[in-house]
Amino acid sequence: MKNLFGFLISVTLGIFMILALTNTNAFPEFGHASIDNRVSSQYLNIDNVEEVGSGNIVTAIVVGYRGFDTLGEVTVLFISALGVAFMLSSPKQKRIDLKFKPNFMLRVGSKILFGIILVTSFYIILHGHLTPGGGFPGGAIIASSVLLLYLADDKFRSNIKSFKILEGVAGSLFVIIGLLGLVFATYFLQNFLPAGHVGELLSAGIIPIIYILIGLKVGSEIAGIVDNFLTEEESA
Amino acid sequence: MSAILLIAIPLLAAFLSIMMKKTSSYILLAVGIFNVVLLFILPDGFVIIGGFRQPLGINLLLDTYSRIALLLLNSLILVITYLNLKSYKSYGTILMLALAGLNGLVLTNDLFNFFVFLEISGIAAYLITTSNKKPRSTFHYLILGSVGSSLFLFGVIILYAMYGTLNIVGMIRLIQASGNYKEVILPFTLMFIGLGVEAKLLPFNSWVKGVLGNSNTLSGPMIASVYAGSMSFVLGRLITNLFNFQGSLLTIVTIILAVGIVAGDLMAFASTKTREILLFSSVAQASIIALLFVNGIIIWAVYLIIANALSKTVMFLVINKATKDVGSDESQDLRGLFIKNILVGVTFTLATLSVMGLPLLVGFKIKLAFLTGLADANHIWLIAIILIASVIEGIYFVRLLVKLWYKGDKEINVSYNYSFKTVFVIIALALLVFGTYSTPLNYLDNSIDTVMEEVNNG
Amino acid sequence: MIQYAAIILFVFGIYGLFTNKNVIKMIISLNIMEIGLNIFIISIGFNYDGIAPIISSTNDLGYIFVDPLPQALVLTAIVIGVGTTALGLAIAKNIYKTYNTFELDEMEESA
Repeated sequence: MKNLFGFLISVTLGIFMILALTNTNAFPEFGHASIDNRVSSQYLNIDNVEEVGSGNIVTAIVVGYRGFDTLGEVTVLFISALGVAFMLSSPKQKRIDLKFKPNFMLRVGSKILFGIILVTSFYIILHGHLTPGGGFPGGAIIASSVLLLYLADDKFRSNIKSFKILEGVAGSLFVIIGLLGLVFATYFLQNFLPAGHVGELLSAGIIPIIYILIGLKVGSEIAGIVDNFLTEEESA
Repeated sequence: MSAILLIAIPLLAAFLSIMMKKTSSYILLAVGIFNVVLLFILPDGFVIIGGFRQPLGINLLLDTYSRIALLLLNSLILVITYLNLKSYKSYGTILMLALAGLNGLVLTNDLFNFFVFLEISGIAAYLITTSNKKPRSTFHYLILGSVGSSLFLFGVIILYAMYGTLNIVGMIRLIQASGNYKEVILPFTLMFIGLGVEAKLLPFNSWVKGVLGNSNTLSGPMIASVYAGSMSFVLGRLITNLFNFQGSLLTIVTIILAVGIVAGDLMAFASTKTREILLFSSVAQASIIALLFVNGIIIWAVYLIIANALSKTVMFLVINKATKDVGSDESQDLRGLFIKNILVGVTFTLATLSVMGLPLLVGFKIKLAFLTGLADANHIWLIAIILIASVIEGIYFVRLLVKLWYKGDKEINVSYNYSFKTVFVIIALALLVFGTYSTPLNYLDNSIDTVMEEVNNG
Repeated sequence: MIQYAAIILFVFGIYGLFTNKNVIKMIISLNIMEIGLNIFIISIGFNYDGIAPIISSTNDLGYIFVDPLPQALVLTAIVIGVGTTALGLAIAKNIYKTYNTFELDEMEESA
């Protein structure tokens, strides 16, 4: 009975949405989005691009124009990691026993891969204002390298305390850079370093700095979440 | 001194406090006091973030409406933290993030920023409810909250595709210029459903029974007064300025809200657990507030939000402390609660009478004013529904009060410490004073919400 | 075509939330719903003649770009979805510890 009710509601919602969207003149057809009457046309204007200094316009939006949203998003990840640690941690912990026991080749080989993955992640974070990527994918890659070490070795535990300190410091530095904008320039999160030339590594003011902080923060948070899920209370 | 500090300082304190876990609650008290003091010295107006003018960047709007909302929720969080310092010490960081999220929600003037802060406050609420030790209810709340936020984001994206901006003031101008209301029915419906989940409107509020039905002195007042108040404030701002319900959508929304009022009161009547009675009464009041916003009676809806938040704080704190000491919240088991706690009983009774709307208390003045407003607009059947619901409300509240005052078969030993009693007395006095001497209430009127002014000025 | 698929995914997710009783399956349905939403958000910025919004030097003018703003919004939405999923899985682990099962039907209100 409940299945039928759920089915009817979902199908009604879907049909309602599709009919309403196809009959709306103001909603553009797929593939013909014209950005002339949207805000993005001003983001792509060459004067604004040189003022912000970042070649990757998506990065300019995420960290520059809508940097406050990014601060909020970093806070969401922070509070989720905090919540997971709050609910799953206990004073004495050890690794969960899994059925699969890794062998010697896996344990050694994974350490080589760990270095390569870490270098890739730093490259992606540092070039956030020139190529697609940036702090968030880079941070996720850092966390995946830590996950690789966890899966390949069943006695491995990373240094959780240092991750927590790194997370707290990176987050506070983000807010402090914003407050410095309030002190040196007039607005919160305003760019107070020179913008440089578009396309060079050292350009775009505070954008690369913020992305590095975001990458470190995201990486340490997700690594913390991984650790919380793969450990349990010591039943000694 | 700019309004961004109301959000940035709690965030900074939260990021730093995970390294100093022991003192997080005291940092929260300091930040709360700082915020309340800051609210009295900030000027009105738009606050630009990042130095990019509208509509390139994000901006915040501080006017009398937001100032009232911010004052209410910052002071309530301060009070609730102070009362729970000994029993729930480890929740300091979570409460700081809830404070930052709710402040941002009330201040923002940008739709996607609204969604991000809605998620921050939502996740903080899920973590506050874990203090109930009922993971099933928390899970149910998490699923419903995520579905609601996703529906809200869906609506926002459709609006962006049609009008090309995410700024609320700019979007209102463009919608007024295009003049075709039929096209925006779909996004407004989705956004209303999304916010209705958090604001406890029927039929999206099945999470309320599990979360508030098992609440304690921290999660009860937080979810029922602070979160309910803030969500009603922002829902009201969006309803009066952005949604502007017309035609068939107005009829549907009015019917949903009217059904919500009656159903909430009926479910409270049918229940015997005290916490359930209180939470269903909150559901009914939330629907009344939304109905007032839909009909344009802004200032009395604001006063009703404030009165409800204050009364429900007192009521939930009294009942939750009693439930913790006695072990159950059936009204049978709490009989005779007030025989040994006369001061607490008097303040609880005053708060209940204010919710019911009896004379001498501010609830009566507010009810009279908004019923007059509805009569002026010729909504006779809405007045009839609200009056019928008030009668049902009167019956179950009086029944509850009789049970709590008169002795049952067992002795009950519940004690409230000094700080609890001080808070109760202050709130009850405020309800009494503004009920008898209510001319200060007439100083403010519907113009406290300045968004439409800004739209017409630009 | 893509927008129809996105809406269908969204509706699948909502249907899954109504009908499933297993906690893990509900979290997966929530994720499917969010994937549908994210695909829809990106699809409103697409232009068949457009290129990626990256400017390598100040000579790159005269091209039609796709809309970069929905891409920035999706970045935020994906991260928020990850946060909510992590929290949901932690609550699921707590549910298992309290009730010893993941099915909502088999849980008695004993705890």
